[in-house]
Amino acid sequence: MIEFELNGQKVKTDEAPDTPVLWVVRDTFKLMGSKFGCGAGLCGACTMHLDGVAIKTCVLPISAVAGQSLTTIEGLSADGNLHPLQVAWQAYAVPQCGYCQSGQIMSAAALLESNPNPSEADVEAALAGNICRCGCYPRIKKAVLAASESGGLFKNALASEERV
Amino acid sequence: MKIENMSRRRFLKTTAVVGGGVVVGFSLGGCSTSAPLPIDVAEGGFIPNAFLQILPDNTVKFYTARDEMGQGVTTGLSTLLGEELDFDPFKMEILLAGVHEDYNNPGMGVQGTGGSNSIHAHFEPMRQAGANTRALILLAAAQDLGVNRDYLKTKDGHVIFDGQLFPYGRFVQTAAGLKVPENTPLKASSEFHYIGRESGRVDALAKSTGAAVFGIDVDLPGMHYAVVRRSPVPGAKLVGYNRTATESMKGVTQVVEVASGVAVVAESYWQAKKAADQMDIAWEDVPLGRVDSADIRADYELALNSDDGLTGTDEGDLTSGFAVSDQVLEHEYWTPFLSHAPMEPMNAVVDIKEGWADVWSGTQGPGAAQGLVARFAGLDPSKVRVHQTYLGGSFGRRGTLTHIVEATQIALAAGKPIKLIWSREDDLRNGLYRPASLMRVKAGVDRDGKIAAWDAKRVGGNISPDTIKNLLPALFPGLGDTVIDWIGGMADGAFSDWVADPSSTEGLFEDYDHLNTRVTHATVNHGIPLTFWRSVGHSYTAFAKESMIDELAVAGGHDPVGFRINNTENNPRLQNVVRIAGERMKQMTTAQGRHLGLAAHHSFLTDVAEIAEVSVENGQIKVHKVVCVVDCGTAVNPDVVRAQMEGGILFGLTAALHGEHLIEGGAVKESNFHDYPILRMNEAPDIEVVIVESQGKPTGVGEPGLPPIAPAVANAVFRATGERLRSLPLRLKA
Ligand code: FES
Ligand code: FES
Repeated sequence: MIEFELNGQKVKTDEAPDTPVLWVVRDTFKLMGSKFGCGAGLCGACTMHLDGVAIKTCVLPISAVAGQSLTTIEGLSADGNLHPLQVAWQAYAVPQCGYCQSGQIMSAAALLESNPNPSEADVEAALAGNICRCGCYPRIKKAVLAASESGGLFKNALASEERV
Repeated sequence: MKIENMSRRRFLKTTAVVGGGVVVGFSLGGCSTSAPLPIDVAEGGFIPNAFLQILPDNTVKFYTARDEMGQGVTTGLSTLLGEELDFDPFKMEILLAGVHEDYNNPGMGVQGTGGSNSIHAHFEPMRQAGANTRALILLAAAQDLGVNRDYLKTKDGHVIFDGQLFPYGRFVQTAAGLKVPENTPLKASSEFHYIGRESGRVDALAKSTGAAVFGIDVDLPGMHYAVVRRSPVPGAKLVGYNRTATESMKGVTQVVEVASGVAVVAESYWQAKKAADQMDIAWEDVPLGRVDSADIRADYELALNSDDGLTGTDEGDLTSGFAVSDQVLEHEYWTPFLSHAPMEPMNAVVDIKEGWADVWSGTQGPGAAQGLVARFAGLDPSKVRVHQTYLGGSFGRRGTLTHIVEATQIALAAGKPIKLIWSREDDLRNGLYRPASLMRVKAGVDRDGKIAAWDAKRVGGNISPDTIKNLLPALFPGLGDTVIDWIGGMADGAFSDWVADPSSTEGLFEDYDHLNTRVTHATVNHGIPLTFWRSVGHSYTAFAKESMIDELAVAGGHDPVGFRINNTENNPRLQNVVRIAGERMKQMTTAQGRHLGLAAHHSFLTDVAEIAEVSVENGQIKVHKVVCVVDCGTAVNPDVVRAQMEGGILFGLTAALHGEHLIEGGAVKESNFHDYPILRMNEAPDIEVVIVESQGKPTGVGEPGLPPIAPAVANAVFRATGERLRSLPLRLKA
């Protein structure tokens, strides 16, 4: 039996210790927001926070989280309000298919937690492990910067680009 | 003559015509007019047509008939309907429709999504549905309020009378007893309120909170998980495997042989995966097993340099065209096999019980999904309920539904609800591919800078026969395997010996004013499964065409913008985007070491010109910025248009800079994102999209952003280095 904290709740599971965290969270605890994209730590779709640090959970055995605290996209805004990133994601109409977005937001949230005013290069470095096949990168970058402390989230969010 | 959308749309239309009444019979269980709509009717809910349910509390539920794979179709279609219904699409509850004849794609004749046709094909029908419903509500309101209809107006879901607002929902009970008006006049574009408005996406909230449901998220009580092992070499049959050892593994409840290989069923995904991975399987030895990439390339070269081939287009007189040419160039261009690699690997949930089957999966063909489940579960299609989910990307991939066949076969054998999940390795190694192409263009330019002759040849496999083979069992669930194999064989033969597959050469010649044109096609097919991939033939023909155009301009000392303008007199819309791009190029101040490349292309009825700003350092190509000029008619949701251009450009950049599948012993070599890299954020350029103002009918946006980007980058690399790269992915020699 492995015990850990999931989105602030104490939980336990008797899944085999080598089962990746991703599948336990999705299939045992039925939290489907974190996604499976590669199963090899290469795409970031499965990103959660382990004691506040962004981590790829498709290659992390459940035994490794014993006694620790895990946060998923469902637990990102503990007070039930949207996280500033989630507001920015809508303002910039970031998602296309949406499948990678939980992972993108979790990676970005961990970045803003440790670095409230990241540079463009900081954002690129922090999100280098998150693939978006739909090509939302320019918007993801803008939305993260907008959600940062000095980002001015609501200013010119939907910049109307030139039409001729 | 221009060939527009000759790929999926034309093909599917043909299929529907060929199918005749059988298609209808298939999708509706033989009784087209009385099949109930797959809609849960709420208390007091009124359903004026298949796309709407209006509740007394003024809730408006919108049933999206096209499949949302990220292209923004839920936003687009709800905007079209909302415009005429006079109801803000962002206040609607957006649902994904089940299968019904009323949800057929007007541009296809079957229920499917593709060819970038959704907004184009629904521009009138969706607005008409909204207008007729609004007219009906007004009739009901006039009756209920006891006033003349002419005194009533509407505003965002409310009827206005004498300054008072009455929600639509108040009149639905009366409306239900009235006949829905037909052919209500539509608004002039000058009156549009929601169409053309800057707005976000109706699905952005669900997709920012983890709430959006994809096929992989569906969970049923008592459900088991399945993992399938398939032959690495396409088409090789199962010979033997360690069944007993596999069955005895922890959690494993069944081992099931399916058409594509062996499935392991277990209580959890991880158990199924571990048991499947340890399986020791022998596969049949097939000729494809001795084919490597080098063999494929050599066979293509042979066909290119022989007289083999079918002539697709032959206009004017090449000999005289070349005779008046000052400059004649001849070059070969190569593009490899590619995967779609949508972020959500293939998956499906199937539950068969009590004479019914339910299937949950995000597909580009819910109608085909219904047919396939019916066929393989031995049920009438009317007994199959299709629950469409969001698609975690598709790009053409989710138009082929072998995973639904697998899930159905496994669920039937296991006797319990099954969730089948493909791994990324399965996706890359057992998928269907964008065909590899070897192209040669010989072109001549006269002394006025006019293209006088264009002789192009393409060698490679065709997607249409594979598409036919994949669709037939779905469209005709009652047809026997032998007949399907026979028709499939005929299709192979037809497109290699009889008529060139239009999707193999589309875009290779149409855009410019060369009167003397020949396009030849030679089919060489090694049996690698093929299908449409974002922008289909244009994904490779644009690279050859726009590279050659740039080479001709350079060789003749012409400005690449002026050269294109001079040769697009018959294509004013393409000419216009080139002209605007040219003006932008002049204004762009490029930093030291950066160079601009231009390309333009017409596809899916849309014209796009792109400028790539590129630098080359230590042999590394870096794309800093892309400016994209697009004319797609009326931009129903301008921000969605921008997003689709951005997405098409970045998808095309992955192909331009990284994308390549190699074949080793008949098997795809690459297995995951370490050896099949996808563009990452630090490689993504800034993108600026310029939408040409237009009152025209909307045209495609999901695909047309892609074709120009690879040649635009290659043309910029030439300016940076003097080296002409004629193969994708782009790799410098040094
Ligand atoms: S699914 Fe975990 S990194 Fe891709
Ligand atoms: S939104 Fe589709 S993969 Fe990122």
